Formats: sequence, structure tokens, C-alpha cells
Amino acid sequence: MSVSHASWTAKFLAVVRYEILWNIRKKKFLGMLVVAFAISTLFLAGGHIVSAITGEPVEPNPDFVIGSNVGLVGFVFFLFAIVTAMNIISAEFESGTIVPLLAKPVSRTTVFFGKLFAAFLTLLATYCFLMIYMTIGGFVVYGPQNNLHLVPLSLLGALFSTLIWISIVLLFGTLSRSSLIAALGALGVWLGTTIIGQILGMLAGQGWILTYIPGVGNVGYVGGPPSGPGVGTAVSTGTDSIGPNLINYILHHSWKVTYYKIDIGAPTPGQVWIKLYSEPLSTVILTSIAVALIYFIVFVAISWYVFRRAQVTE
Amino acid sequence: MEFVIETTNLTKKYGSLVAVDKLDLKVKADTIHGFLGPNGAGKTTTLKILVGLLKLDGGSVSVLGQDIGWDKPDVRSRIGYMPELPKLPKHLKGRELLDIYGRMYGMAKEAREKQVPKLLDMVGLRERGNDLIGTYSKGMQQRLGMAQALLNEPELVILDEPGLGLDPVGMVEVRDLMKEMAKEGVTVFLSSHLLHEVEQVCTHVTIINKGVEVASGTLKQISAKVRGPVTIEAEVDKLSKTVIKKVKELSFVTDVSEDGKKLLVEVKTRDDVRSEVSQAITAGGGIVIDMNLKGESLEDIFMDLLAKRKKGRL
Repeated sequence: MSVSHASWTAKFLAVVRYEILWNIRKKKFLGMLVVAFAISTLFLAGGHIVSAITGEPVEPNPDFVIGSNVGLVGFVFFLFAIVTAMNIISAEFESGTIVPLLAKPVSRTTVFFGKLFAAFLTLLATYCFLMIYMTIGGFVVYGPQNNLHLVPLSLLGALFSTLIWISIVLLFGTLSRSSLIAALGALGVWLGTTIIGQILGMLAGQGWILTYIPGVGNVGYVGGPPSGPGVGTAVSTGTDSIGPNLINYILHHSWKVTYYKIDIGAPTPGQVWIKLYSEPLSTVILTSIAVALIYFIVFVAISWYVFRRAQVTE
Repeated sequence: MEFVIETTNLTKKYGSLVAVDKLDLKVKADTIHGFLGPNGAGKTTTLKILVGLLKLDGGSVSVLGQDIGWDKPDVRSRIGYMPELPKLPKHLKGRELLDIYGRMYGMAKEAREKQVPKLLDMVGLRERGNDLIGTYSKGMQQRLGMAQALLNEPELVILDEPGLGLDPVGMVEVRDLMKEMAKEGVTVFLSSHLLHEVEQVCTHVTIINKGVEVASGTLKQISAKVRGPVTIEAEVDKLSKTVIKKVKELSFVTDVSEDGKKLLVEVKTRDDVRSEVSQAITAGGGIVIDMNLKGESLEDIFMDLLAKRKKGRL
């Protein structure tokens, strides 16, 4: 017999290969890749579009690449998480391919983590391509760029941010065994934290809660309030902003982030913003990384536990 | 090891429904063992328990001398399993799938390079090996499902309805393959509702209904258990009273009756005594045109068993 007791690594890599081939051949993933490149191209072409409208020449911008977080924004993280994680468990059950897969001599733990690792590798490769594209494009369109050595921090932050969304999609998918519910559940969380949370935070002054929830987080300002004379620079505290915040910390480590709420009954425009509290940028970063790690570990652990016990009735 | 599959009081419930009820199943090594039952009898559930896809709720299961436990993949490296209408990942090519599954079995590169083309050739998919499975017909997917079950040169092959989706030529090929495997010392455990298929290849049969074993043994043993006396139906030319007298004189004959040109001979033995009956007819001056054992097909036995079970006589 040609079968030997294969090492755990060989089986793990077989699952990774299986999943990566699935990921890169999905129409959804290829579509998302096109969207991401389109968004990046829009970022790059923004200066030229404005120039065409106003007639003014495109000014060199040495901080374009670092300032734009190489084109990766919260919604992109969310969409990439959906297209890479939707299939990890739920689609296997939906399509019935879980039956021959789990009949192989590979433990469910190996299958689960092999698939998760494949999602990570797929994202890593995709984000690397996007970053190279944006860096070269930024250089070509806006001239020589500053602080390009910090681009890997954008990559690290983007991976962190997406992994949170992956763990959310994975959790919904494993519990429901439905890709649709996984996508809709994650969309619900994204809408809740991004839109409803932001509105409630601004109006009720309870935005600090968003700091402890995955997503865009609370919004604070450095150097002044959100509007009016001496307007400040906006800083998002959430897990979606780990990359930009890390870069900001290296470039401006003394930044203090101040939070405001809208004073609905203010008689004059200058009194619209009520100052709530301030904290150093380092605290913002540490909190968002801790939140990211805790949610990721908890959601992945629950998904893994459920998958290990799942009976294949399909 | 006398039995490659041995279950004791195997019980599986889905809520209040008892799918398998205290099943004692014994499959001898080096046999082709048929597993028969109507739809919903509990066949697929039993097979899924054997390969670790479902948890048992009671009793014990030993496969190839090992307790199957839960999520213990080692024993699966010695088993080949073909699910009912196997759902294989459509994003992979046939050759890729076999290669990846081979890696999961721990097969070395050389072994995979030898075994994969051999199996593709055997199931008639050599020309389509580099096409995506999503482009395969149902019959082709069924044949690839068979190939993946034989990839690891298993000691035990578990086949769930292997004839489904195959054309008559494909069915004959699968039957020949099963016979070939048995010759090479592989035990085949075959679940099917195609009685004709089981009858042609199986040496042993277990029949279940509503999760309960109705009968188990060789076809001959089961037939004896169910039908009592066997009737030989002979079409005879020059049928006369002398012919009837000669046949009646045979010690194992219990009754003889006429039906036109046909002679119905009821015998008390389970042995094939057609040649003795034929000699007696010839001795009486008759000419045997045709002779059959009446009601000995597996289908007759199966229907009788289920009917008797319904009436509470078994």
C-alpha cells in the first residue's frame, strides 16, 4: 500500500491547496478583485479628475501613498472578508462537498485551520498586489513618495482589519451552514457599527462603545473639533483603522485624540461641538489591536468548536 | 480479523425519529457485502457513521478492528468511501482533486503520479482529467467519485448506491470492478436499492428496514429463512403421468403439480437439485425444454421479508 501516516503538515497543506484553488477560481472573488483595483485606480486618478474639472495642474503629493492607506478602506475589508470566508464552512455543507472531504483521514481541526490559513494567504497575496499597484501608481501620478518604508504597516493593518470580518463571516457561516446568512449577518454587523453606531455616537455622545466593537469604531479629532475654525484631523478608533493609526503613531507619536458630540440645542454655530474626553493615539492603537485579537480569537474558537461537533446530515 | 465491520446495538436518532435501531452488523473480510433496504431504511445513516460523518447515539462500531470514535481520522486512511451521488468540488479539475485527496491520504508524490492517471484511465476520465469537475456530467462525477474511493488502495471500500447515475455499460463496469477488488482481497460494503445489482455481485447481504435488521447472511441463507420450500418450474414436452410419477419418487420432492405444459415441483432442500429433477423427467419419457427456480430472485426475497416484517412474522 502506498499510503503512509502522513505528517500533520502535509495534510494541512493539502487542505490549504484545496481552499486556495477554490478561492481564486470563484467568480465572486475575481469580481471583488476587479472592484478593488477599480477603487484603487479611482484613488490614483482622483487628482487628474479634479484637474480636468478645475483646469488646474495636478500637484505633486509626496504623502499620497501613505495618506490614502494604499486605497484600502473599511468597506473593501468587509467585501474581501465576505468573498474569501463565505465558503470556508457553509458552502462545503451547502454543496455537499463536505461529505467526501471529511471522509478523508484528516481531522476536522486540520480542515478548519487549513481553510482559515488559505483565506489569510489569499488576502495577503491580494493586498500585496494592490499595494504594489498603488505604490507604483502613486509614484507615477504624484511624484516621489515619502515614508514608503511604512507601507508594510498598511499591509499588516489591512490583514488585521479583514481577519476580524472573516471571523464574523465564519461564525455566522458555521452556525447557520448557509452562505447567504453568513453574508447577511456580517452585513448587518457592518451596517450596525458603521452607520447606525456612528449616528448614535455623534448624537448621544456614547460613541466610546464603538471602540469595543469590530469595525470603523468611534471618531475622534486631533488639533480641533470636526468643523468650524481650527478644524481637526479625524482619527477612527476601530479595528478597520489599525493600519493608518500605526502609521500616524510613527509619524506623530504625540498625537492626542479628542472626542466630541453634537450639541443639538446650541444657539450659535461655534457651540455645536461639546468636548467629551481625550486619549493618546497609543491608547487608541492598543485598544483596537486588543479588541481585534479578542473578537478574532473568540469568534474563531466558537466556529471551530461548532465545526468539530457538526454532524454531516447533508 | 474475521469482521472488517462490526456494530453492536448501533443506534442513531434524529430528534424523536430512530433512524438506526440497535443494529448488529457484521461484514466479513474479503467479501462483497450488500446492504439493502427501502428508502429511509437507515442505510446511508449507517454508512455515514462508519466513516465518521455522523455520531452514534448508542452502541459501538468497530471498523478494521478499530473503534471509530469521533473525529479520529487514522482508520479512514484504510477505507475508501463513495457517497451517494458524490458532490465533488466543481472548482477543481478531476486530476487536481485526486492529487489533493491523495495528499490528504498521505500518499507520496511518486505514488500519486502513478495512481491518479491509473484511476482516471480505469473510470474512463483520462481525456477529461484536466477539465473542471463543474463541466462533468452526473455519470462522470459518479465515476470520479468511484476513483477517489479507490485512491488509497483501501482494505475496505464502502459504496453508497454506486449504480446511481450510471448508464448500463457503466453499471457493468462498476460490477466488474467490485468483483476484481474482491479478488484482490478488498472487502466491499455496498449499499444499494438496485436488487439486481446486489444479486449479481454480493456474496453476503444484510437487509434493514426502518433502522432494524431484517435478515443477514448469504443469499442462500436468507432465502431459506424466508421462503420455505423452493419450487422448480419445468417446461416439459411429452408430459405424462409417468413423468410425474418418476419425479414424485425423488426423496426431496414434497409436491408435484401440472400447469399446462409446465410442471411445478416443490422441493424441501435448499440445494440446487434441477439436474436430478431433469433426469427423472427424462426417465419418465418427457423432454425438458426449460427449467427455473421460481421466486428465488433477491427481489422476491426482499419483498417477502418486508411483507413478513410488516405482518410481524419476522
